[in-house]
Amino acid sequence: MWKLLQRSGNAVSVLPRRRCSPGLSDAVRLSSSQMDSADERVLRKRKFQPQQAADLSEELAGQLPVKSRVVICGGGITGASVAYHLGLRGWGGETLLVEQDRVGGELPWTACGLAGRFEPSYTELKLAEYSIDLIKRLAENGLPTGWRPVGSLNLARSWDRMTAFNRMKSQALAWGMHCEILSPEQCAQHCELLSLDGIEGGLWIPEDGVCDPQLVCQAYMTEAQRLGVRIVEHCAIKKIHSEHGKVRSVETTAGDVECEYFVNCTGFWAREVGTLSKPVVKVPLKAVEHHYLHTKPIEGLSPDTPFVRDFDGRIFFRECEGHILAGGFEREAKMVYEDGVIPLSQTARQHPPDWDHFHELLDALLLRVPSFRDATLDRLTNSLQVFSPDCKWILGEAPEIQNYYVAAGNKTMGVSASGGIGRVLTDLITKGSTYLDLHILDISRFLGLHNNRKFLRDRCKEAPGKHFEINYPFEEFQTGRNLRMSPIYPQLKEAGAVFGQSMGYERPNYFDQQDKQDEFGLPRFRIAQTRTFGKPPWFDHVASEYRACRERIGIADYSSFTKYDFWSKGNEVVDLLQYLCSNDVDVAVGSIIHTGMQNPNGGYENDCSLARLSERHYMMIAPTIQQTRSMCWIRKHMPNHLRAKVNVADVTSMYTAICILGPYSRILLSELTDTDLTPKSFPFFTYKELDVGLADGIRVLNITHTGELGYVLYIPNEYALHVYSRLYQAGQKFNIQHAGYYATRALRIEKFYAFWGQDLDTFTTPLECGRSWRVKFNKPIDFIGRNALLKQREEGVKRMYVQLLLNDHDHEVDMWCWGGEPIYRDGVYVGMTTTTGYGYTFEKQVCLGFVRNFDDEGRELPVTNEYVLSGHYEVEVAGVRFEAKVNLHSPNLPTKFPDREREAYQATRDKPDQADLLSYGGVTTVKGTGIPTDGHGL
Amino acid sequence: MFKFVLNDAACYVRSNVREFSLNALRLLPQLPQLSPYDVNLVLRENEFVYNFPVDGVIRSYESNQLGSNWPCEDSRTEASLLHRNGFICGIFDGHAGAACGQVVSKRLLRYVSAATLPRQVLREQMMQGADSQSFLKCHNDNVDFVSMIKPIYEASFLKYVNQLLETPQRDVSSELVNAFLQLDEEISQEALASNDVRTMNVALSGAVACLVHIEGLQMHVASTGDCGAVLGVLDPETQQWQPKKLNIEHNADNMSEVRRILAEHPKEEHETVIRNGRLLSQLAPLRAFGDFRYKWSQEIMQQKVLPMFGVQAMAPNYYTPPYLTARPDVQQHELGPNDKFLVIASDGLWDFLSPSEVVSLVGEHINSKKILEPMRLPEGETTLQEISQQLAERKAGLTRKPVDQNAATHLIRHALGGTDYGIEHSKISYYLTLPRDVVRLYRDDITITVIYFNSEHIAKLHSDVDETEVTAPVA
Repeated sequence: MWKLLQRSGNAVSVLPRRRCSPGLSDAVRLSSSQMDSADERVLRKRKFQPQQAADLSEELAGQLPVKSRVVICGGGITGASVAYHLGLRGWGGETLLVEQDRVGGELPWTACGLAGRFEPSYTELKLAEYSIDLIKRLAENGLPTGWRPVGSLNLARSWDRMTAFNRMKSQALAWGMHCEILSPEQCAQHCELLSLDGIEGGLWIPEDGVCDPQLVCQAYMTEAQRLGVRIVEHCAIKKIHSEHGKVRSVETTAGDVECEYFVNCTGFWAREVGTLSKPVVKVPLKAVEHHYLHTKPIEGLSPDTPFVRDFDGRIFFRECEGHILAGGFEREAKMVYEDGVIPLSQTARQHPPDWDHFHELLDALLLRVPSFRDATLDRLTNSLQVFSPDCKWILGEAPEIQNYYVAAGNKTMGVSASGGIGRVLTDLITKGSTYLDLHILDISRFLGLHNNRKFLRDRCKEAPGKHFEINYPFEEFQTGRNLRMSPIYPQLKEAGAVFGQSMGYERPNYFDQQDKQDEFGLPRFRIAQTRTFGKPPWFDHVASEYRACRERIGIADYSSFTKYDFWSKGNEVVDLLQYLCSNDVDVAVGSIIHTGMQNPNGGYENDCSLARLSERHYMMIAPTIQQTRSMCWIRKHMPNHLRAKVNVADVTSMYTAICILGPYSRILLSELTDTDLTPKSFPFFTYKELDVGLADGIRVLNITHTGELGYVLYIPNEYALHVYSRLYQAGQKFNIQHAGYYATRALRIEKFYAFWGQDLDTFTTPLECGRSWRVKFNKPIDFIGRNALLKQREEGVKRMYVQLLLNDHDHEVDMWCWGGEPIYRDGVYVGMTTTTGYGYTFEKQVCLGFVRNFDDEGRELPVTNEYVLSGHYEVEVAGVRFEAKVNLHSPNLPTKFPDREREAYQATRDKPDQADLLSYGGVTTVKGTGIPTDGHGL
Repeated sequence: MFKFVLNDAACYVRSNVREFSLNALRLLPQLPQLSPYDVNLVLRENEFVYNFPVDGVIRSYESNQLGSNWPCEDSRTEASLLHRNGFICGIFDGHAGAACGQVVSKRLLRYVSAATLPRQVLREQMMQGADSQSFLKCHNDNVDFVSMIKPIYEASFLKYVNQLLETPQRDVSSELVNAFLQLDEEISQEALASNDVRTMNVALSGAVACLVHIEGLQMHVASTGDCGAVLGVLDPETQQWQPKKLNIEHNADNMSEVRRILAEHPKEEHETVIRNGRLLSQLAPLRAFGDFRYKWSQEIMQQKVLPMFGVQAMAPNYYTPPYLTARPDVQQHELGPNDKFLVIASDGLWDFLSPSEVVSLVGEHINSKKILEPMRLPEGETTLQEISQQLAERKAGLTRKPVDQNAATHLIRHALGGTDYGIEHSKISYYLTLPRDVVRLYRDDITITVIYFNSEHIAKLHSDVDETEVTAPVA
């Protein structure tokens, strides 16, 4: 076929077209100055540039001090609160607050003004509680805050929601917070407007109230100024300079300020302000649209109308100057600024309302309060709010730069958060520690991946909705998945794994053989779901995996665990670890030491296993969530003389960790390697580098972190699939079975093993959790926390880690324990459970938790073994108390495969001499087995 | 030469075999399943939308094309008429090769735009050295004639314009008919005058055409062959969509057309002129551009065609040519405020959808597109209940929210994937993944242009016209 027509783009055979003139202008445009504007647009997309306040900068030039100890960036409610608290601490004269526009923002009512304490965790609740008390105090001092203690009414439409309320109530009583469970009729008494259609009941928190966030912000500011804090408006931060990893100075539009501490309280802009320093401080936040509905004043609306939240309708409303202010948290939030251009002013944060998006919430509101149907609309506002990927606040010192603090991600609840946040940040800045364990809010809970804009865009759709969702155990996000996967992930998926995510890592939670393929016959990606407070749907799967680990052999993926390598040329690495760790790390090569890294108060900053690979090379295994955090801790506390000499490397992503556990694990492994694995040559709690299958260089640790016999194999990633296949193949004759996280968790809870982040936190000391035998006070070095621990040893501990086995609990019918249940001793509240689970051997609910000893006036007394063992215990599960038997030591479970080594080892115990030599050398000395007599060692 | 035969065979099989073999072939598991993303890529590849900037009779048009033959034998051209307020567009369905369709699609619009221009203006423009492209502005035009052919066509155009300038102005219908015939004649002469294989190729391939010419409120639809144009009219009382067919296809189903052909040939040929629903049992459309195998005299065929293409090029029973003409039927329509859109499409679409289905699909598409615009609150006091109701109505529309913005794509998607219970993805995927050598048996090239009228402007023009009519007698 002869071509008659050709694309004009093909210049060879085509005559010039008439369109040549625009083409020419294109060429002109490219060479002219417009190129720069295009360039600029691209740059602006990538790079945040703060507002230029050029016209005012000269005026401001004199106002700005040359030096200020603390510079707070951001004049919103959080910044104001930090300034106020620094003032209270006497740092007012040394604090400077910089705001790019005007303090308090210019647009009131972009928040609902709830000062409430319905929060999912103890830390958040306590922070909110402090904020409310503070607002009350400010109001009492005559400062305008708009505070009115109207109470908050929380409605439940479902049975599960009521269970959540009951759990909340149980906790609240223990935490000293007042609340009541209401019947639907009682709900109506608190708020007559409500329709009771579908309402199961409610939770009434009388001490909650409402306030005007802008007035509160002004009140903080006024107080801060009175206390000497200097506030400069219309001044933007351009850069934050650091030196030797510490904040040195800030560059603003009105000149440079030398400073020691920098606090990023820029809220909506926190992620972008994070990019103004080198290295970039990662503050993972994403803007989503958030609506507030205002009606015109309604006649006869009582000013005492409580703050009402209908969680299942996802809406809330309050009375505000005679009209109704309502809002909600939709299931899927609407993203904005997908191209990453961030508006600079408050005004630009306002978007035109999206009625279609608000429709669902509007209907839910009208259903709950039929009389609002006749209310007339004043306006629907749509302002942008930022959310963090896990819908929790972001606090603390940035991992990237020392003395750079962040307080952001207050997710529309700035008022409830601000007071507490101001206080703890001030504590951290001035004292280095605070009165609450903050690790769940700490900025070091994130990895770089969490700051990826595409990840945030994916995940933050889901985040706001979490606000009003039932706080089910083991809740998983549906978005931002399949991000970090171990090399054997496809095999696990094929084997029926149902996944959970931790630090972006997909970890099999359990294995389900049903329905594991999609319609094309490919393995389906499934996310673990519990969605009940009772017997979980995965109960039977976990039971079978548990039995495999106890009786045959289980294979589990531990790849998500944090792995660091430490090494040095000289002996510096030992010096460093001796200083950081409370246990003695100078042990024979090939030993594994289980140790904590204590803070100066003796609390656990990290709880890890150290394998001494060679004289001057250690490998650290720590909980998954420690990946960023422990590096910060190590860097920050590394003595200066070691800094240049010790190498610390995060090798988490270089190794795949496969654990084989169960009585046959040794026979299985010895089939695949030539090395002698008998206890004599490869004892419990030691390390060997082995050849496995055809691969070499595999770091094998003879521990399982569960109390079962077995090995964890740290395999260079490229060998992972090979080793896994060999293990799985060779394991067939033992009927090897995959085990997920829930099964290993059940094992360790029953065995009374404490895990950092769940049982242990920065406030728990080894002495309180039966691990004093792992603290070597006689080490020749003054390790961090030694003095505090010595003091505690003198004075006795104020709380003690116990295991409780619930009697008369029917796991089929009764609500389960999921952590956070109050423990009663002789009818008196003594503490909370931390982790809990079903003990498949005990066939009972097993709770781990801490027990305290309060006297009549609420003072804490030392807790002794006698005190613990002499009480009669009960655990309250969602309002029902169950009798419980208490344990102080890891129990020995009945087994068909008795093993002397295993029985000798107890993770939690009180006598330092027991089987202590296990961690030393090649010789295993097994001393006394069985349950030790009650010691007096503490 | 086999091409002609094969092509005609394909047409025949397509119309008869599709129904039953569709199910048989669907059982073949070899066809790859396309993802929705891939389907969208294919369906939207040739999308085009043009919104007219100024207030005129036409608001915008949307167009799309889905090829089946390789290369696609359909062509489409849309253009604004220069020197006056008008619009012209056409769809050209080629057969026996794409050449004729492509050439006609470019040249016909130029001829018509010159012919409908007032002679005075035409003369002035020609004095200023205007060429064939001076009277219209094409919108979706990214190809041009190669350099060898271009001067030949320019010369023919000049000849045509000179001819026009010598004849007095006629009404638009006559000008359209004249332009069609004249262009066809020139294609013949170009082929015979030069020995270029290309011009001969144009003359031996064929194309049917449907051309819409709109100037003011007057719309003319000139159609030769089996393309179709249908007007979407919204009944103001019932709010129902009514189709109004603006042409009658020239194929064997059209009895008056069959009678016309039979009347033009001796009685002895009645058995052979139209057989199996085809002209000389070969050609499905009964009128077309090009296809001079059915137009030229036997002498010309002997001299020019047979030496080049062999004996088979001559149709059997070829006794009394011409059997075929390019003369169009022209329908005139005055646009009213209820005329909302016009769909013109090649027979590839009409094989799947009836005119009334097409009109209701586009009509629904217009309604559901409104949802894509943000909600506007009524002025004054509004209660929350009223807002809620309004939102609920929008939401009801939201469920019908179309996948495609472009109405032409919407039609193609329904043509290929439409079932009683909605669009079925696997059906579209099936049609799109058929192997290239058999795909023509299952679907023809589809080309669609949907023109949206600006009802407000039309209503205004109408009232202006009414006023002048009322005032005229008084004056």
